[in-house]
Amino acid sequence: MLGFIKKDLLMIKSNIKILAILLLIYVVMAFQGQMDLSFLLPFMSVMIMMSTFSYDSYNKWDAYAISLPDGRKSSVKAKYLATIILIIATTIIITILSFTISYAKTNIIDFENITGTIFGSLFATILLQSLIYPAMYKFGPEKARIGLMTIIFCVAIIGGFITQYVDLSSIINILNFIEEYWIIVFFMTMILMLYISYKISERIYFKKEI
Amino acid sequence: MENENILEVKNLCKRYKGFELQNVNITLPKGMIMGFIGENGAGKTTTIKAILDIIKDYTGEIKVFGLDNRKDDKKIKENIGAVLDDMFFPEILTPNDINSIMKYIYKNWDSELYFKYLTDFALPNNKAIKTLSKGMRKKLEIATAISHHPKLLILDEPTAGLDPIARNEVIDIFQNFIQNEECSILLSSHITTDLEHIADYITFINNGNIILSKTREELLEDYGIVKCSKEEFEKIDKNDFIKYKKSKYEYEVLVESKKAFKRKYAINTIDKITLEELMVLMIKGEK
Repeated sequence: MLGFIKKDLLMIKSNIKILAILLLIYVVMAFQGQMDLSFLLPFMSVMIMMSTFSYDSYNKWDAYAISLPDGRKSSVKAKYLATIILIIATTIIITILSFTISYAKTNIIDFENITGTIFGSLFATILLQSLIYPAMYKFGPEKARIGLMTIIFCVAIIGGFITQYVDLSSIINILNFIEEYWIIVFFMTMILMLYISYKISERIYFKKEI
Repeated sequence: MENENILEVKNLCKRYKGFELQNVNITLPKGMIMGFIGENGAGKTTTIKAILDIIKDYTGEIKVFGLDNRKDDKKIKENIGAVLDDMFFPEILTPNDINSIMKYIYKNWDSELYFKYLTDFALPNNKAIKTLSKGMRKKLEIATAISHHPKLLILDEPTAGLDPIARNEVIDIFQNFIQNEECSILLSSHITTDLEHIADYITFINNGNIILSKTREELLEDYGIVKCSKEEFEKIDKNDFIKYKKSKYEYEVLVESKKAFKRKYAINTIDKITLEELMVLMIKGEK
């Protein structure tokens, strides 16, 4: 298992220079107020992990992985665990950068605002990864990428429709109810999303003709 | 009693749209090299993928080291080294990365041996796989497959794309590997001359069926090609040859036993057969 996680992390590491340059550009833009750094979290982690799927597919890694001990069992699990490690790492980096930029620009740290945005992006990141991974395993990276764009487009359309035409008071009531326990609900929801996504991906992978 | 066969495939069947693997049977004893030949799309890779349990929904029984390939998957794969056609690590990784990964995958991974192979093959440690030539990449795949001291090597076209010198180096490695009488190799290859030098058994698959499986001696010493005129050919009983091919000036007739044929017919031109000629006659020949 550790070997399979390491493989994904080493793939991420081999793109580290490009990632560092991207990060630098975003930091500069954030300093100038042109960009909110929180956007970087879902963008970077989804893109990085999608590139690992593309390399895997191009070199038929999945078939090779199955020829290794515990390959079928470990491959999917390792991909999800590598994703969690990546999300934790990017969240730490983005949080530190956000606080630093906020302090450098205004001499105060807007703790509530920054953590709120980071939590929001964290949720978006995990939601996106949870939706896209089963599609990656089912249809391959090329088709899944189109699927990802369709999902984002549909969510935006539905979101727009709901805010304009649906009475949101009942949802607000529920949100008020969970406000007290929001942090638990927040993390439980993210864990549940990832777990369900993992189980679906594993099922697809086990049944898939490679 | 300890199992003397390292690999036993019984009645392996797998159906795809437009292709079917039909009752494939293979027996590979310990300490032997089996050459697995056949034209493109004959079923070699499908058979290898079934042995490694990569494909799904196949029927039949596959035993490796006397164990069921599906039930004892992990135990079996700890002792198998595989070189698969066009399937390997993502090409942005380096040989060094492969070492860091494999030491956590195989219990018996031998980093020292792996780096020795990299040096012997003149492979760089720190360059991405995508920068390596096809031959270098193949050598890296072989070094990766044999650095955990496997007992069975499963090689799908391992010498494809290698120059003659590299091919010799690789074949030497296979021959050294087989010095340990507990080890065996299943080697699929189009380069039949390599197999003529190293294989103990030859198994020939055509259109999803095993059409021949014999020792190299039986094939290369007993089988022969009779070269004769049309008149001579017409006198040969149909039961006394396997296939024939008509060329511009003569008939080439594949016979199972040169000696038996010589005793029965007064045709003197009977040549030894090469695996390439055997393949061509078996596939393209008529009966």
